[in-house]
Amino acid sequence: MNPLENFRMAFESLWQNKLRSFLALLGIVIGVFAVTAMISLGQMATAGINQSLEAVAGRSIFVQPDFNAGGNAQTAPIREEEMEVLRRLPVRVIPQLFTNAQYESRPGERRSITFQGTPGDLPRLDPTNKIARGRYFGEAEARAGAAVAVLSDRAAKDLFPTGRDPVGQEVRLFSPSGSRAELTVIGVLEPPSGIFGGLGSSATVYVPNEYIWNNWPAQTRGNYDFVVLALNREANSREVQRQVRQIYESRFGQGKYTIQSTESFQGTLATITGILQGLLGGIAGLSLLVGGIGIMNIMLVSVTERTREIGLRKALGATAGLIRQQFLIEAVVLTLVGGALGVLLAAGLLLLITAVVPFFPVFILNPVTVMVALLVSAGVGLAFGVLPAARAAALDPIEALRFE
Amino acid sequence: MNAVVQMTGVTKTYRSGSSARQVEVRALQGVDLTVGQGEYVALMGPSGSGKSTLMHIIGLLDSPSSGSYQLGGDDVTKVPEGVLAKVRNQRVGFVFQAFFLLPRLTALHNVALPLVYRGMSAVERLKRARASLESVGLGDRMDHLPSELSGGQKQRVAIARALVQQPDLLLADEPTGNLDSKSSDEILELFDQLHRQGKTIVMVTHEPDVGARAQRIVRLRDGRIAE
Repeated sequence: MNPLENFRMAFESLWQNKLRSFLALLGIVIGVFAVTAMISLGQMATAGINQSLEAVAGRSIFVQPDFNAGGNAQTAPIREEEMEVLRRLPVRVIPQLFTNAQYESRPGERRSITFQGTPGDLPRLDPTNKIARGRYFGEAEARAGAAVAVLSDRAAKDLFPTGRDPVGQEVRLFSPSGSRAELTVIGVLEPPSGIFGGLGSSATVYVPNEYIWNNWPAQTRGNYDFVVLALNREANSREVQRQVRQIYESRFGQGKYTIQSTESFQGTLATITGILQGLLGGIAGLSLLVGGIGIMNIMLVSVTERTREIGLRKALGATAGLIRQQFLIEAVVLTLVGGALGVLLAAGLLLLITAVVPFFPVFILNPVTVMVALLVSAGVGLAFGVLPAARAAALDPIEALRFE
Repeated sequence: MNAVVQMTGVTKTYRSGSSARQVEVRALQGVDLTVGQGEYVALMGPSGSGKSTLMHIIGLLDSPSSGSYQLGGDDVTKVPEGVLAKVRNQRVGFVFQAFFLLPRLTALHNVALPLVYRGMSAVERLKRARASLESVGLGDRMDHLPSELSGGQKQRVAIARALVQQPDLLLADEPTGNLDSKSSDEILELFDQLHRQGKTIVMVTHEPDVGARAQRIVRLRDGRIAE
């Protein structure tokens, strides 16, 4: 007998009991829906986080002394010499100084603010920095150590609480040793975008590196605190990271620097979301188990109800194997239909979420996820159909025909 | 005359009751039975005589404990269940007292059902089923569900289903037991007609006037053939 006949019969028999079939496969629908939605939401969240992360940090590599491993500016310096070597890599080299300054929030009260030295034209080197008003200081100003400052969004609010436009104003700051510095504000940066916007927005005053070397005590000319290497579009993050590590280790020895890339950070994030996905998917998978038990239950009822049919089919020449096949196929068709409905529901929900929730910018429904969901549904049908099918196959036709 | 059914010394012993107190029931105690090609035999006997057991063995739904049974010239005494199903499908056409039509299938599809298990194409199955239904006079009821048919019509669908198999043997178990007298007459008339066409028929019955229409009556008593 052609197995397709059994498929046709399975559909007929399920169609004849529409309400019951629907209720029986509801558990599978919910299970597949939950698993598919969880996995896809995890993938969408990862994609969303990565997008935001790139908006904040771009694709870059970050080098500084490894303070945890006992590294410091003496044993693991960031020197101008290395910048020359790094500039040969497919990156924009952005060496920076990181210190602090104080400002008078009220007469007699001083507060700390981050005071960061950068090269000129930072927004060009690292497009994640965007100018909101005014301009960034250029190369010439940077080299000359001009007394100009660009404020972060927060710094502008802290230093100019009245809401006056800071561009063109003077700010008075104090170095850690107490000396006074007068700077002209020439620009204000945009607040960082994406979900990390809140995290990344600190009160920072950006000035030329040269200015800090000239005016701040305890800063050695030619030495930086850290360097950001913004990767060119075609650059391979992992490869460049390896080359950078080699440059520093060949000169200063192993384990003295922290060399991180946004890509490795994304990898860590992917691992975390992967674990979360697995956990949530596993919990959702429990509903599949419950759904499977529901299928088994309804199939057992169906076998009892159709005892006479089974007896008749056997009398007419159906072997035990064909009867088993018939009921297994019915169970698989039931769960496959449930699985397909579950995937459709999940797709609907995901589309809705991408349309409504800005945190999920892209719709992801991986074909692999769909395939796995359908395979698992079929597997559930097979696994939980075995017992009812075996019971049907084992029926004695004489007893079955006598059954009232 | 070729024998369709050839039984010698067939016995059947059951164990019945719970496993603690099992009772051996000796349903058949050495039955010799021959049914020739084209014969119309009525199998009669009081309840408990073993006639149901004998019918099940003839129909290959059960196998004898000892003795030999040849159906259409082939020994079917020691045949595995899978093969037995195939032999049943090709050689035995059942007609039951309670019709046993699948309630959700039309008359046509009920009749075509045994051919599904032969791996026959749907077109061929339905063609043969149509011809079979026409031969029992139900050409105009093919697309009706069993619930839309009278008792006599249902039994005629069941007979058409047995005939579509072109079996060596038609095995009818109290075929008029659920019918009123008018329908009974029609069904028995149909069996007479099939007999005249040369079909081999074994009919189990306890009604003397039904048995009387057969060519020969085999009476069972206490697991043996009485005459």
